[in-house]
Amino acid sequence: MVQRIVIDPLTRIEGHLRIEADIQNGKVIDAHSSGTMVRGIEKIVKDRDPRDVWAFVGRVCGVCTSIHSLCSVRAVENAYQIVIPPNAQLVRNIMEAVLYMHDHVVHFYQLHALDWVDVVSALKADPVATSALAQKQSPWPKSSVGYFKALKERLIRFVGSEQLGIFANGYWGHPGYKLTPEQNLIAVAHYLEALEWQKEVVKVQTVFGGKNPHPNYLVGGMACSIDLQEANAINTERLNLVKQKLQNAKAFIEQVYIPDLLMIAEVYKEEWSLIGGGVSNYLTYGDFPLFEYGDTNNYKMPRGVVLNRDLSTIYPINATSPEEIKEYIYHSWYTYKQGNKVGLHPYNGETILNYTGPRPPYSHLDLNDKYSWIKTPRWKERPMEVGPLARLIVAYAAGVEPQKTLITDTLKQLELPITALFSTLGRTVARGLESKLVANWALEFYEQLIQNLKNGDSRMVNHYLWEKENKPKSVRGFGLTEAPRGALAHFIVIEDNRVKNYQMIVPTTWNASPRDEKGILSAFESALIGTPIYDPKQPLEILRTIHSFDPCLACAVHLYDTERRSIHQITVEN
Amino acid sequence: MNKKTLILGIGNYLLQDEGIGIHIIHILEKERLPSHISLLDGGTSGLHLLSWLQDYERIILIDATLDNNPPGTIQLIYPHHAKDFPPLMSAHEIGLQDMIEAMILTEHLPEIQLITISVQNINDIGLDLTPSIKASIPKVIHLIKQLVDDKSHKKRLSTVK
Repeated sequence: MVQRIVIDPLTRIEGHLRIEADIQNGKVIDAHSSGTMVRGIEKIVKDRDPRDVWAFVGRVCGVCTSIHSLCSVRAVENAYQIVIPPNAQLVRNIMEAVLYMHDHVVHFYQLHALDWVDVVSALKADPVATSALAQKQSPWPKSSVGYFKALKERLIRFVGSEQLGIFANGYWGHPGYKLTPEQNLIAVAHYLEALEWQKEVVKVQTVFGGKNPHPNYLVGGMACSIDLQEANAINTERLNLVKQKLQNAKAFIEQVYIPDLLMIAEVYKEEWSLIGGGVSNYLTYGDFPLFEYGDTNNYKMPRGVVLNRDLSTIYPINATSPEEIKEYIYHSWYTYKQGNKVGLHPYNGETILNYTGPRPPYSHLDLNDKYSWIKTPRWKERPMEVGPLARLIVAYAAGVEPQKTLITDTLKQLELPITALFSTLGRTVARGLESKLVANWALEFYEQLIQNLKNGDSRMVNHYLWEKENKPKSVRGFGLTEAPRGALAHFIVIEDNRVKNYQMIVPTTWNASPRDEKGILSAFESALIGTPIYDPKQPLEILRTIHSFDPCLACAVHLYDTERRSIHQITVEN
Repeated sequence: MNKKTLILGIGNYLLQDEGIGIHIIHILEKERLPSHISLLDGGTSGLHLLSWLQDYERIILIDATLDNNPPGTIQLIYPHHAKDFPPLMSAHEIGLQDMIEAMILTEHLPEIQLITISVQNINDIGLDLTPSIKASIPKVIHLIKQLVDDKSHKKRLSTVK
C-alpha cells in the first residue's frame, strides 16, 4: 500500500514550497517538490538602465536581501569589463560575510533547530544539570543555574499562555526527538539568544550599505566613502563599531552555535549521517575574492563541480557555455518558443508563464505533467546540489585550507567517516563549519581594509561606467556568487545601454526543482527517497531533510495564487 | 512626552499593490514630521527588522492585506498577539509573523498600530499601484497623521470608510 503525504506549505521557510511524498513500508519511495509561487523579476528590469538593476533585484527576497544586488553589480561589471578597487572588494566581502553569519545562525536556530530540539521537553529540564552541561560544552558566560531556571519559568509561562507562536507547528513528543530535557533547554536558551544576536550583527550592513534591509550597492564599487579622520565619512569610530560587531559574531558562532551543533550531531549522527544524501553531485561558483572578481584562483571558496561523490576529481565550470548550464521546463509552468523539451542557457532564457495546474484550492497536482513554478536547471545534463555542503565538498576535494583541516578534525571528533558528509546531517554540519570559517574571514577582510586605508588608499569606486562616452552599446555579462544557501547566477544582455534580457538561476532552483524529462530527480526529491517515516501524520523526517538545504522560495519563485494563503495543510491519503 | 515612534512600511515594491506600505513611506519622506517620528522602508524583510523595531516604544506598521474586503479598504488594528494579525502576504509573510512572535517571546514588544490596506491582486508585477489603491493613499496618510498627533493611543478596532 502506498500512502501519499502532502505538506503545503512547508513551514519555517521563506516562500511557498509544497512536498508530495509517497510512502510504502514506512519509507519514502517517491517525492515531488513544487514551488507554488511564480517569480517575474526578469520582466521588471527589462529596458532599464543596467546600473539601476541591483536596486530592483535586491527586493526579490527579504532573507538574502543584499546578495542579489551583489550578483547584479557583478553581472553589469562583467559586461562592461570593469574592475573595482580593492577596498570596494573588501567591503563587499565583509557585507557578504555578515549576510552568511546572519543567515546561517538564523537558519540553524530559528528555522532548523526545532526539527531536532523538542521545546516541550525542555520544560522538564533540571536547571542545575543544564548549567553543568552548558559549562562543560562551552566557555559561553550565560550558563548559570539562575539563568536556566529563569528561562525555564519564562518558557512555562509562554507555553501555558497558549501563545505557542513560533513553537506552534512543532511535532512535540515525537519519538524522533532524541535530546535530553537539559540539552533541549540549552538549545532553546540559545534560540532566544540568537534572536538577540542577529539584531546586532546586521548593523554592519548599515555602516557600509547606508541602510538595511536592502543596503546600497553601486556598479563600479561601493557607495560609501571611508576616511579615518573625517566626521561625515565612515571614520575610525564607525569602523571600530564594525570590528566589535564582527568579533561578537565570531564569539557567538564559536562558543554557542558550534557547541550546540556538535551536541545535536552527536545524538543524531548514527541515523542521520546515512539519510538524505540526494543527487551526489555538488556545484559551487566559489566566492569571497581576495583580489579581483575575475581572478577565480584567489577565492576563499574555490569554484568547481564534484560528481558522484568522487572527491578525486574537480570539474571546472564555464557558466557562459550554452552546453553547460541549461534550464528545462518539462515539468514547470512555462512555455519555450522552441518547445517543451529544449534546455536554454540563461543568455537565451525565456520567461513565458503557462499555468496548466489545477484551479486552487486543489488537493492534487498532476505530477506527470507540469507541477511547479520552478524551472529545472542542469549542469552538463546532470542535477546538482548547491549550498554550504557543496562548497565544503569542493574545497575538501581541492585540498583547500582551512576548509580541509576543519572538516577532517570535525569528523574525527564525531567519529564519522568522510562519507557522513553526504547526508542530511552533513548538510547541517557543513553550514555550521562554514559560519566558523566566514567569521574569521570577515575579520581578515576588515584588517586588510584598515591596512589599505592606513597606506593611503581610500579608493572605493571605478567611475568608468558613470562617464557616458565610455559605454559600449551592446554587451552581455554574468555575475556569479555564492548566496548563503548556494550558487546564485545573474545573466544580463544589454542593448543600447538598456537591459534586453535578465535571467537569474537562484540556489533553491537547483535544489527544489522538479525532475527533468528523463525522470531524473533534483536535489530535494532525490534526498527524500528512502527516508523512514515514523508517523505519516507527523512527517518530521521530511522537514529535517528539506530544512537541511535552507530552502528559500522567495526568489526561486515569487508570487502565489490568491486562494491559498497561510494554510498549513498536511494531508495523508491511502 | 511623545513616544518614540517608528512608521514602518513593509511589502514588496515589485508587486504593484503588495508594495503599498513602501509607497506610503516614500510619500511620508517628503513630509515634515515631528522629531520623535522615524520612517523605515522595511521592504520584504523579516527578522532583519527586529533591532530597529525594538528601539522604539511605538510602531505604526503599514502593510497590504488580502482579506476579501473591497480593494482600498483601510483598517486600523491594535494587535496583541501574532494571531491578531490579518493574513499578510507574499514573500514577507513568514518573516513578519516570526518577527512579531519573536518580540513577544523576548518580552520586548513595542506598542503596535497596524494599518492594513486591502488589495485584490498580488499576481501582477510592476511598480505602479492600481487606481483603487492609489486613491486610498491620502486617507492612509491622514490616518497616520492622526495617530502621530493622538497621544492617548486608545485600544480600539476601527474601519475607515
